[in-house]
Amino acid sequence: MTTIVSPRPEALDTSASTDNYLTFTKGFRSWALTLDHKRIGVMYMGAVLASFLVGGIFALLLRTELLTPGKTIVSADMYNQFFTLHGAIMVFLVIIPSIPAALGNFVLPIMLGAKDVAFPRLNLFSFYLWIGGAMFTLYSLAAGGFDTGWTFYTPYSTTTTTGGVIPVLTGVFILGFSSIFTGLNFIVTVHKLRPPGMTWFRMPLFLWALYATAIIQVLATPVLAITLCLLIVERLLNIGIFNPSMGGDPVLYQHFFWFYSHPAVYIMIVPAMGIISEIISVHSHRQIFGYRFIAFSSIAIAMFSFIVWGHHMFVSGQSGLMNTIFSLISFSVAIPSAVKTFNWTMTLYKGTISLTAPMMYGLSFLFLFTIGGLTGIHLATLNTDVHLHDTYFVVAHFHYVMMGSALIGMIGGLHHWWPKMTGRMYNEKTAIIASIIIFVGFNITFFTQFMLGSQGMPRRYYDYQPEFQIYHVISTIGSYIMAFGFFLCASCFVQSLLGGKKAPVNPWGGRSLEWQCSSPPPHDNFSSPPKVGNCYDFSMLRWDEKEQGYVVDKELEAKSIAAEARGHS
Amino acid sequence: MLSTLISILITNASAQAAPPVATPADFWLPIGASVQAANIDLMFNIINYICYFFFVVVVAMMVWFVVKYRAKPGTRIRTDGMTHHTVLELSWSVIPLIICIVIFFFGFTGYVDLITPPKNSFDVNVTSFKWGWQFKYPNGAQSDNLVVPSGRPVKLIMRSNDVLHCCFIPAFRVKKDIVPGRYSTLWFQCDIPTGLEEKNGYHLFCTEYCGTGHSNMNRKVLVLPQAEFDQWLGKQAQWLDEIPDEELYFKAGPKIYARCQQCHSTDGTVGLGPSWQGLWTRLTTPGAARFTDGKSYADIIGVGKEYATPEDYIRDSIYNPGKHLVAPYGNVMPTFKGQLNDRAVDSVIGMIQHIEEFDAKGAWTKTLPPTAAKTETKSEMK
Repeated sequence: MTTIVSPRPEALDTSASTDNYLTFTKGFRSWALTLDHKRIGVMYMGAVLASFLVGGIFALLLRTELLTPGKTIVSADMYNQFFTLHGAIMVFLVIIPSIPAALGNFVLPIMLGAKDVAFPRLNLFSFYLWIGGAMFTLYSLAAGGFDTGWTFYTPYSTTTTTGGVIPVLTGVFILGFSSIFTGLNFIVTVHKLRPPGMTWFRMPLFLWALYATAIIQVLATPVLAITLCLLIVERLLNIGIFNPSMGGDPVLYQHFFWFYSHPAVYIMIVPAMGIISEIISVHSHRQIFGYRFIAFSSIAIAMFSFIVWGHHMFVSGQSGLMNTIFSLISFSVAIPSAVKTFNWTMTLYKGTISLTAPMMYGLSFLFLFTIGGLTGIHLATLNTDVHLHDTYFVVAHFHYVMMGSALIGMIGGLHHWWPKMTGRMYNEKTAIIASIIIFVGFNITFFTQFMLGSQGMPRRYYDYQPEFQIYHVISTIGSYIMAFGFFLCASCFVQSLLGGKKAPVNPWGGRSLEWQCSSPPPHDNFSSPPKVGNCYDFSMLRWDEKEQGYVVDKELEAKSIAAEARGHS
Repeated sequence: MLSTLISILITNASAQAAPPVATPADFWLPIGASVQAANIDLMFNIINYICYFFFVVVVAMMVWFVVKYRAKPGTRIRTDGMTHHTVLELSWSVIPLIICIVIFFFGFTGYVDLITPPKNSFDVNVTSFKWGWQFKYPNGAQSDNLVVPSGRPVKLIMRSNDVLHCCFIPAFRVKKDIVPGRYSTLWFQCDIPTGLEEKNGYHLFCTEYCGTGHSNMNRKVLVLPQAEFDQWLGKQAQWLDEIPDEELYFKAGPKIYARCQQCHSTDGTVGLGPSWQGLWTRLTTPGAARFTDGKSYADIIGVGKEYATPEDYIRDSIYNPGKHLVAPYGNVMPTFKGQLNDRAVDSVIGMIQHIEEFDAKGAWTKTLPPTAAKTETKSEMK
């Protein structure tokens, strides 16, 4: 499998100093038909960031509309389309592929010590499926848009007169397969392509997280595909599956939908947790605290994710018994989340902490995820959920988890691996300022929404009671601040691409394998088989002023090996 | 907020003695006016305090460690931190687990109370549709706002005519989805009367997204003392019957039009359904307006055709809205069968006939004596 690589130009010098995956071959075709996981990862990243911009613009339009009750800039129908698009783009085109497909594709094989993923052609195919899905989503706008909400609840979605429903369902169906293939690829890669010495418990925690995510992607996404097919069939051929006027059951749809979409929440958050494990450990140069607990908690979350979907339906009319069971199981997710949070915090203890830009995002994550996770308790508890269900409290809660955690994790990961991906450093000061602006803007935007929701403001409302206006105004101002932060962050990256300092091999002091190959890595990742050690043992690292990065100190390395040998004997 | 907690506990203890008062709105929660609210608010606040505690612990540790162990690059990397601590890790798995189980249990018992209506409840039938509500009482009375007696459990038996809706009354802390094709129920008891003034009522929202008018699908809950309520109920049942036939279109018409105005304008504004402005003229002019199947009004209205008179056509359009669709409108109107009786339909037809007497909001703009109105009706019928 690993033999499938692009033909190597004859005359090229293969020494590590000149070989670089970005310049290895040239021309549009060399990128469009590449089988290199790194290039596919970079293309995914570009596509995901472009979608993020589009989804973000819709978010700003929504927030602007909500500045005043009634009409501010657009009509009710337009507003409904905007929030639907914002949700669908952010979920299906941005967050789900952002970490596994974009960062994961780039990082996973290198971290593992492999030359590529197990099925490079499938990997490229999944990228083109993503493009296809995105095209259908775009086409749906031309076909009349869609105003169903990203959840496509029946019978509204099968009866609405907007013309883009079937195209977008087709788009999401295709995106689902893109996600399944990426997951499949990662599972096989982790099982089959680990080099000698890379045992399961030597894998960096990001790989554990990607592995857990891949399991969910492969097992849950087909259910979404089937559900969307049924929805298309119902809308197109008038076969009553979900619409009661044709003998169907709308609550059945909700079960099917959340059977995928709840695990999908973990497709989004688990890989971000993996990134945070890396960031916090690497930037505090300290052995991750409780490696096994974190590794197993990723797997535990993946497993629990399949049996808690009913908590989205506490007021849908499903039986009280089912609500009770789902409430109880939902609480179980709190335990692995709490374990991770405490372990990350303890990792900081007695560390050697560098407050770099990735670390700022790591700490932001810890802060925001704590709020997002804790407010989940209000929603898992049956009687308080009845009041909070479908209000802005839920909106705030899942933005803290989806955006404050998953996306912040992704952005943090991008800062962390940016020097490796591009071979260039960015202006660290600007990046840190941007991260603070995003953090402040985020909290202003979404913390207000907790109050808005618990005070009784329903979600997906175009018009609202005047007493809620003050919260909406604050929230909108926060969103503008956040947008400014993201633009600053983007400008930082652009500046880095245009004239950033050359990145050293190991700018942060990481010990996992990607910090052993050059920045950017060579086409084959490793010229010689990498030395696999404890990826969280930072004791042998030393800051090198000339290199402007960390290097392995031979003396300290010998000491560390001796210490390990003593430990084993 | 602690004072709120204490006051809730005190109110609970002395519920028999003192007259019931609503719990005032605080930083988190709105005014609480149902018997169920206190219990839910207590739970909400307890969870809040647990959250504050853990949040402070995590953030304080994080900030403290970052400040204490921050180091410039070049500092010798410390190696004295522990790699794991099984007892510590087990304790922060088990303690949250125990807390979660306790919260679950009280949430569960509270929920059982919340979904089990007492036997002696007063039942109100609720019909939801795009985009409005109709409340029907045991004596046949109907209303647009939900009017209920105080001091007595009220059970809503809800159904939907089209898509999913959801009934949410924040002040009562109750919510339930309304699923087409099945009944769902919701109960509450409010002991604090509001009177019939809309501005004093409690909000009732639709919280399941249902399209264009979703955010305007809200009404008020008005609570009356039992005696006052009975009086209102008796009057409400007969309101249509008490209006003389010739005054029906301008007295009853605008009230019923409140349910139609989301889609049908009176001034020609384009909506989700045809405007009522000029509708009567179109109906009686051959060749005007077409249906989606290509037919015109003249093809179906007239002696020996599907509808003998335009009145018959309007009546059937209200009861079977999907039968003939005027181009370019979609099939979005719910049926009003069982909601509007003959007199109500007559009021609507009358209003459509005299649409130029109404302003853009559907209010009658004339103040003619009944006799004059009658003559005008005749002259217009032609």
